[in-house]
Amino acid sequence: MRAHSLWDLTVGFRGTFTLAALSLLLASAALLLVPLLGTYALDVALAGSLAPASTLLAPLAKGFPGHEVLAYLLLSAGALVAVTALAGGFHYLRGRWTALASEGLIRTLRLTLHHQLERLPAPWHDGMDTGDLVQRCSSDVETLRVFFSNDVLEIARALALLLALLPLMFWRNASLAWLSLSLMPLIFLFAVLFFRRVKTVFKVTDEAEAAMTSALQENLTGIRVVRAFSRQPEERQRFAGFNSTFRDHNRRLIDLMGLYWSLSDLLCLSQIGLVLFAGAYQLQQGTLSVGELFAFLTWVSMVIFPLRQFGRILTDAGKASVALTRLKAVLEATTERSAPRAEVPTTPAPSGPPLGLRLEGLTFTYPGARTPALTDLSLTVEPGQTLALLGAPGAGKTTLLRLLLRYYPIPESSILVGEAGKPLQALETLELPSHRSALALVAQDPFLYGRSLEANLRVGAPDASEGELWTALEDAALASTVRALPEGLATALGERGVTLSGGQRQRLAIARALLRRPALLLLDDALSAVDITTEAHILAALRARKGESTVILTAHRLSTVRHADRIGLLEHGRLVALGTHETLYESAPAYRALAQQQGFAP
Amino acid sequence: MSTDYDDALYTDDQLAERLAGDLWRQLWGYTRPYRAWVWGLCLCAVVVALMDVAFPLITREVVDDLTHGGLGADLTPWLWAYGTATVILAGAVGAFIFLGGRLRTHISHDIRRDAFNQLQDLSFAYFDRRPVGWLMARMTSDCERLSNILAWGLLDLAWGATVMSGALVAMLLMAPNLTVTVVAVVPLLALASLRFQQRILSTARDVRRYNAQLTANFNETVMGVQTTQAFQREADNHNRFRQLSDAMYGASVKNLLYGAIYLPVVLTLASLALGGALALGGLELFLGTLTAGTVLAFLTYARHFFEPVEQLAHWFAEMQMAQASAERVLSLVNAEPEIRDSEAVRAGDQNAALPPLERIEIRDLAFAYGSGPQVLRDIQLTLRRGTLTALIGPTGGGKSTLSALLCRFYEPTGGGIYVNGQEYRTLPLRVWQERLGVVLQTPHLFSGSIGDNLRFARPEASDADLWHALEKSQGAAFVRGLPEGLAFQVGEGGSRLSAGQRQLLSLTRVLLCDAELVILDEATATIDSETEALITQALKDILADRIAVIVAHRLSTIRHADQIAVLEGSTIVELGNHEQLLAEGGRYATLLAQGPTIPS
Repeated sequence: MRAHSLWDLTVGFRGTFTLAALSLLLASAALLLVPLLGTYALDVALAGSLAPASTLLAPLAKGFPGHEVLAYLLLSAGALVAVTALAGGFHYLRGRWTALASEGLIRTLRLTLHHQLERLPAPWHDGMDTGDLVQRCSSDVETLRVFFSNDVLEIARALALLLALLPLMFWRNASLAWLSLSLMPLIFLFAVLFFRRVKTVFKVTDEAEAAMTSALQENLTGIRVVRAFSRQPEERQRFAGFNSTFRDHNRRLIDLMGLYWSLSDLLCLSQIGLVLFAGAYQLQQGTLSVGELFAFLTWVSMVIFPLRQFGRILTDAGKASVALTRLKAVLEATTERSAPRAEVPTTPAPSGPPLGLRLEGLTFTYPGARTPALTDLSLTVEPGQTLALLGAPGAGKTTLLRLLLRYYPIPESSILVGEAGKPLQALETLELPSHRSALALVAQDPFLYGRSLEANLRVGAPDASEGELWTALEDAALASTVRALPEGLATALGERGVTLSGGQRQRLAIARALLRRPALLLLDDALSAVDITTEAHILAALRARKGESTVILTAHRLSTVRHADRIGLLEHGRLVALGTHETLYESAPAYRALAQQQGFAP
Repeated sequence: MSTDYDDALYTDDQLAERLAGDLWRQLWGYTRPYRAWVWGLCLCAVVVALMDVAFPLITREVVDDLTHGGLGADLTPWLWAYGTATVILAGAVGAFIFLGGRLRTHISHDIRRDAFNQLQDLSFAYFDRRPVGWLMARMTSDCERLSNILAWGLLDLAWGATVMSGALVAMLLMAPNLTVTVVAVVPLLALASLRFQQRILSTARDVRRYNAQLTANFNETVMGVQTTQAFQREADNHNRFRQLSDAMYGASVKNLLYGAIYLPVVLTLASLALGGALALGGLELFLGTLTAGTVLAFLTYARHFFEPVEQLAHWFAEMQMAQASAERVLSLVNAEPEIRDSEAVRAGDQNAALPPLERIEIRDLAFAYGSGPQVLRDIQLTLRRGTLTALIGPTGGGKSTLSALLCRFYEPTGGGIYVNGQEYRTLPLRVWQERLGVVLQTPHLFSGSIGDNLRFARPEASDADLWHALEKSQGAAFVRGLPEGLAFQVGEGGSRLSAGQRQLLSLTRVLLCDAELVILDEATATIDSETEALITQALKDILADRIAVIVAHRLSTIRHADQIAVLEGSTIVELGNHEQLLAEGGRYATLLAQGPTIPS
């Protein structure tokens, strides 16, 4: 999405915004007529005849001979109500169109952001902080929303009023018109300069509030630690500091606002006073009527108040363009599949027979890292086999799995996959959606959605039958736990539902992956939080499904890996040993030490 | 674990049918320390309102002098009057914003201070039922909202009442029959304003709710992006988001439309009064019963008379909407800590020295959360200085509850815990909790340096003390490996450290505070085996000369315990050391036969 300026965002809504501005213009014009109606009516009443009457209403009033003045007054009153109602109608249309345009624009923006976030590749996400991203998508979008729904039309309104008023005022009385405008530039300039200066105070206050909020959050999330060390008095003191700092900054901000409104009132009232007394002088000279004076006074106060808002509006506009800059980082980033591509099928195709896999001298360095995470890795996994990877944290196990999922750009021709009996293909030449639909990953700390248990399972296979769901749950040793829940599969997970333990989360993620019947199943330390008995149950279920999927698993515990067809030992990104439990026990001292420590002799 | 949050906790503002007097009276109590400001604020509001009333009068006099006096009229006094009124008004406006701001910021500060202090004393049972996010909302947005109502609502009330009554008096003095026309519209306008304000505020509530859901959805999108991509749920998730986004669009547009209808309705209603005044005033002007200046002033009053009505309707509706906030904030400020020193204890010597812990006896202990089922019953257990007790058993067996009771984070509902023969509820809470050192399953670190976090246990500790404790807890090696050492910033919640490293620091903290009763609640459950080996090694050192309780399920951790208590079905089913229990061939032996980890 192109989003170089606030103007770019209005694509598709410019027509509606124009309609809104047009309605605003008509509403303002109608409202300006109101004082004019009063002017004529008062002058007619004062003169006692229709001589100074408006040419529009006078013919109608003449229809009541003998009561012309009374008729004219009543007609004016009626016209006043009618014109106000008309202005109201336009006012409503302006509000309606502004709402449709600004909310529509923001909806489009949100959808684009969401679409981008889902498709931006892992390296991009690695470089971003979750809280910061969410902050951009919520408060920065809100800043833009406020700007488009309140401010854009406010600017238009002030301009429209001024444009409509200028000819009117100069037509009625040019010299008074000049005087009516004399202080306005000053009022405007004062507003703009003041809000520019106050911006830093705004910022300091926001920061003080943020500091207070995070002190509060830390205390509340760590309340158990606070109690365990009896640190309540110190915490009270600490928070009191943040609390009063925020109070004082906020107070200073309001003090400044007080100063602003006070001075601005002084200027505005001076402007009105100028019109009043200059008008009085002209009245004395006979160059102005009472009615005209009334009209001028009303006009000046109509235009002066929106003008005072300009400082705030310009501040908002500044904030909006900063917000847009922050969103650009998301909107303009290149997604995984920027090239034209077929739509992702909502139902992943059944993933077919197990995949074979060959690594040929795979070396991989994370973007921005200096040392490679994997170095010269070569091995082969036959379709349907199980490969287990052992190694200390940071040895490269997870990196390999992430590469198989193509979260990162992979080195050319170093990862090859293919079904039994077919030639192997380089991974980077495969179409990404169809490749991923053949895979399933279970992470050590799996991510679950804040939806029902069933919806989480169906992430794996949206169209699975209920029977398939339960089979997967049985295999993942989670069926009895789910059955014990009062709401069973419909149980909601997350903040407002049930909180699962680490082991239960892993098992649910395993069920989700099995449901997919993947051609390649990746288990990334996926049994670490599961106890030995349950682990045995799950491993047995996996063995019973042997031939359905090729499995690559990583683990710390030997109980998890020892039945694998082959076990690889990784050290600092290099494969140092490869074999079965028995052969490694004989040949690899590191493996033997591990086996003895954990009590697994062959 | 099922968390049965009281759903009422999540319900956002509901429109209150009637305003609860007690509630607002109690909130009003927060203005007590600032009475001088309150009076000052009211005074300023009255002055501003009087000036608002005065300006049309000045205009009237000017016009009348001119129409009657003609060329000879002397306008100088009115010029002075206008100038003076302008200066007074500007000054009063500045002053009331100044005072209102003071009042508003101080009230929100005070409410927040009280709530925070209260939170430091409330028992964990209170926190169990209320997520942190809920408490945060009370302490931030609710506080701001209520203080806004108290300060600016008061201001508008004083101003509005004065403007309306001042304008009314002025109008009545000038032309009673015209006044009737203007005032007749007020009830209509008040009713319309109130209804619209209620709609606007309640649709605003929907917008806030959807907005929170959208933010949560964005959060989930970012957190789960790799899972979504791996399982190719992009399109499906995007559809969910689109539905939410559409709902948000609908709610926002509705909210804005109410606003768009409201203003025209108010203006049109007001124009009825204005039109009436124009026709009647014009007639009287024609007949010569009123002067031109009076009619002009009258028309100005008619326009300004309705502004306070709109403002007051707004505040009334806002109070109706914010009543739920007020209730929640006050419920927090007024909550009675369930666990606190009894009268007798508070009357006694707060600093009475407690002799070193020799023996803790748990007798006939029973416990239930609120009115729920019994979580523990008939527990008999004795803990002695220099010994390690392991609590094992399946999830829900009561292990963690028992350790929380030992900490007096909860209190027994039956039986008791005797410290050197004395029931622990007869000791001051602070004296007891100072003896404790707890390491939780998920250790909590505060943002700041490693040093700051360790000093949380003992603020006056020197760097050398910290290193000494780190050596003992086996944490020294990794801290030394960090470029900044003790000054290393751990990040929010300790995010820059691994789970194992966080746990080592948490253990070091316990060593530093020199606790006599050390409780490790599943402290090694989530960490890798290397770190676990380190901790097990450190334990021997740590536990000498203390009373130690460990909740665990790894054989390597529990086999060296002096006594192992197997908790199942809310009570202790077996008690003895590793060899004894193995020989007995009961539950422990069965659990052990399944592998090196006791199923939890």
